[in-house]
Formats: sequence, C-alpha cells, structure tokens
Amino acid sequence: MTSGKKTKATRNSVAAARSSVVASKPKPWGTIIAVIAVLGLAGGVFGYAYSQIHANNVKEAALAKWKPSDTNKDPSTQLAGIVTKEYKGSRHVEATQRVAYDQTPAFGGPHDAQWADCTGVVYDKAVRTENMVHGLEHGAVWIAYNPDQVKDDALAKLKVKVEGIPYMMLSPFPGLDKPISLQSWGHQLKVEKADDERIDQFVSSLLRNPNTYPEVGASCENTAFLSNPAPFVAEKPGADAVPMDGGKDDSQTEGQQGQQPNMSTPPASGSASTPPSS
Amino acid sequence: MTAPADETGRPSGVARVLVIGAAVLAVLLLGAAVGLLVKLPGSTSTSAAPASGSVDVGFCQDMSQHHLQGIQMANIARDRSTDTEVRQLAFDIASTQLEQVGRMKGWLMMWNEHEQNISGVYMSWMNDSGVHGHGATTPEAGKPLMPGMAVTDELTKLRTMPAGRDFDVYFLQLMLRHHMGGSPMAEYASTRASQPFVRTLADNMLKSQASETELMKDYLAKRGAAPLP
Repeated sequence: MTSGKKTKATRNSVAAARSSVVASKPKPWGTIIAVIAVLGLAGGVFGYAYSQIHANNVKEAALAKWKPSDTNKDPSTQLAGIVTKEYKGSRHVEATQRVAYDQTPAFGGPHDAQWADCTGVVYDKAVRTENMVHGLEHGAVWIAYNPDQVKDDALAKLKVKVEGIPYMMLSPFPGLDKPISLQSWGHQLKVEKADDERIDQFVSSLLRNPNTYPEVGASCENTAFLSNPAPFVAEKPGADAVPMDGGKDDSQTEGQQGQQPNMSTPPASGSASTPPSS
Repeated sequence: MTAPADETGRPSGVARVLVIGAAVLAVLLLGAAVGLLVKLPGSTSTSAAPASGSVDVGFCQDMSQHHLQGIQMANIARDRSTDTEVRQLAFDIASTQLEQVGRMKGWLMMWNEHEQNISGVYMSWMNDSGVHGHGATTPEAGKPLMPGMAVTDELTKLRTMPAGRDFDVYFLQLMLRHHMGGSPMAEYASTRASQPFVRTLADNMLKSQASETELMKDYLAKRGAAPLP
C-alpha cells in the first residue's frame, strides 16, 4: 500500500513539478500517519473486543462441557472411567432386608424407604448401603472412600467438597477396591486421589441433574436418619436378599405402609472386617 | 485514477480514495467491535437468558442454597418445638422459602444453569458492590459457607437439644442470624438483577424477611434471650 502510494505520489509530484516552477511538493506524511493511526486504533478496538469475546467463549465452553443442558443432558458420559447403568426408581425394601446389589458400592436399585440424609453430610462411620442408594435417588452425589487409604489431607479435601453443600454426602466404605468412589443414580466413577479433577466434573455433571435421577424435587432432609444412621453391613447379603429387580414398588403409594415385610433373618450389624464383594 | 494533482497541492484522487477507504474500514471495524461487545455478559441486553456468573444466576443459585438451610432448621423446629407460636413461624418460613427455592430452581433450569453453585465460590456475583466483606466466599472447614449460615456443629446441636424453652431460643437465634445474613444478597439482586421477576422476588424476600426478623427479635425478648453476638 505504502509503496504503491509512494510511486504514484512520486509520479504526481513529478507531474506537479513539471507543470509549475515551484519546488517539488513534499509527500503527504501527515495524511499517511493519520490514516495509519485511525486504522490502528480501529484495529485495536476490534482486536480487544474479539479477544475478550474469545476468552469468554473459551471459559464458557470449559464450564458448559460439564454443565447439564438441553443439548448436553448427561455430561458425565465424557468422563474417562465412568460406569453407567439404567435403574428403575421407587422400589423399596424394609429396614431388616438386604439388597443383592450388582455393584460395589451400589448406585441404583431397590433401597430402604428411609433415605440417608444428604444435606451436605459427612458421615464419620460407614452407612448402610440400602439407605445411601435412596439418597442417590433424590439427586445426591455420594462420595465413598476407603478408610484405610484415604486419611488426613486427602480426607479433608473430600470433606470440603461435601460439608454443608446440599445434595452431597461422604462416608467411609470399608473394603472399597479403590481409594475413592463417586456415586450418583445410575453413575459411578472410581478415582485414586482426592484432587483428581474428575471429582468436580462428576459433581458438576450429575448433582441434581434433572435428566439423570428419578425424583426431581425430592428433599435430602431426614433428621431421624441423621440422628441415628443405620450402620454399614460388611457381610455379603444372603440367599434371602432382595434381588435387583425385586422390592416393593412404592411409586404410587410412597408413605403408606403396605403388607407386612418378610421378616427373615435380620442382618448382623457389626464388624467391618470382611470386605464386601460384588 | 491517474488524474494529476491540482495546482493547490491537494492530494491526488488516488490518495483521496485511499483515505476514504481507510476511513470506511475503520468505521466497519469499530462497528464490528461494538457489535461484539454488546453481546458480552453483563451488558444491558435483557432479551436472552442471563449468563453464567450474572447477578440473576448467582442470586438464584446462592439464595436457593441459603434458603435450603433455613428450611432445614425450620423443619427441625416444626417437628420438635412444643411452642405453638414457634411451630407456626417455622411452618411459615419453611413453606415460603421452599416455594421460593422452587421458583429460582425453575428459572435456573430454563436458563440451562446448575440449580446450585458448584464452583465452590459463593457470592462472587456481588463483587462490584464495592462493599467490603460482601465479596466472594470459599468453603473452609468449620466456617459457614455464606453469611448467616449455621455450621454443622450448630445444626447438630439444634437437632439434638431437648424440646423446650432453650430449644426455641436457639432456633430463633440461628434463624434470626440466618435471615440477617441473607439480606445483603437479596438487597443486591433487588436492584441489579437483569430480569424483572428476579428483582421482584429478591425485593419481596428483603421485605418479608425484614418483618420476620423483627418478629424473631420480639420472640427472643419475650423469652428473655438476646440474638447471637
């Protein structure tokens, strides 16, 4: 641009010099500088706006990746190592019954009519799985950890993610095959370390995600349970355990007591020495 | 195009075309920049859903969470208090706040936003308030997540206290502090949210909770107790 202008300007000034006796006219530096300055300013403003928008879009995209939406209903499917299963909700068992869960820790299936309180609760002692699963049905995320492997700083990191945060619960799970296991209804992810970034991504994707849990709007409050949590049962469920497709369907009659439950052998509560097996 | 410069020494036609071209380009660039900038979150555009991090989204997420604890405490009092007056107040708080939470979560769902804050940083949407101490809060073990909120030990104490005058007083103290702690959020959103219905709800919370705050102060005085320090 400048060179073309220059040659033309030179030609013009030569012509001007020929047509008059006045000394050759100086090049219009003022105009050139003004034009460049205006263009530079405009380019700068545009560049600034563009970079702001771009940075914002990148940030939004990073957040949106793990945010459930109309177009991204279950972001957790992008997580490395995620395990998903379809489970039917609202199938209940009695406080004395066990469920023969197909996963350890379980993340769906029949469960106790009492949900484990999931109002950002840190359970110091291991809790009965049949109650925890009901919490998942209400949209909670349950972080289970192996108490032999996760202690001190790592445990403190997990507690900060849970304590007081609605729809979160944390509990030890004796014999867990990985240090940490995250459960949401129909979803599980096992990780080695408390600072694994997939923990927050799992929570972002699944905590109260209306597309992935059965009872949208259900409460996590259960003060009776919180005052006296049902203890974890380490023994493997017996032959009388409720199968995964069993349980009483309470989807129409939740809150009403139906027929007497099968009062078979109550589970032995006690030592958590034997790891549960799946 | 090749016309010679005129005798007065003004730039040639070519130069004029170049200058005009540059001016047009500059105007187009500036226009494009303005076009980009008016779509930035926090701009005055009200047609689209509020963006993540906006006052509307932040208020609905954080106030829902703040409310949920209020509901939790009120439900404990509703279940356990032996005092009709306290049980009535607890029912009023729990049912009103649960209904408000439902509204806010419904809006968040429409906006494709999380129904609660999962960033771990609360109230960052209030940052331009210029009021020190109302800025973002981050979870810390043993500290309330947001102003006025009870910590786990306080909730456990409330849950396990025997029913009676002391229980009622402790509930009123916790709930009074909870109401007062939440009011700066409602105040901020009542004037700065972009959606009129969010401003209306925030304003309503501010006013109704202010009168409940006075009521709880009276109830405490009646029972010979003072608010928490």
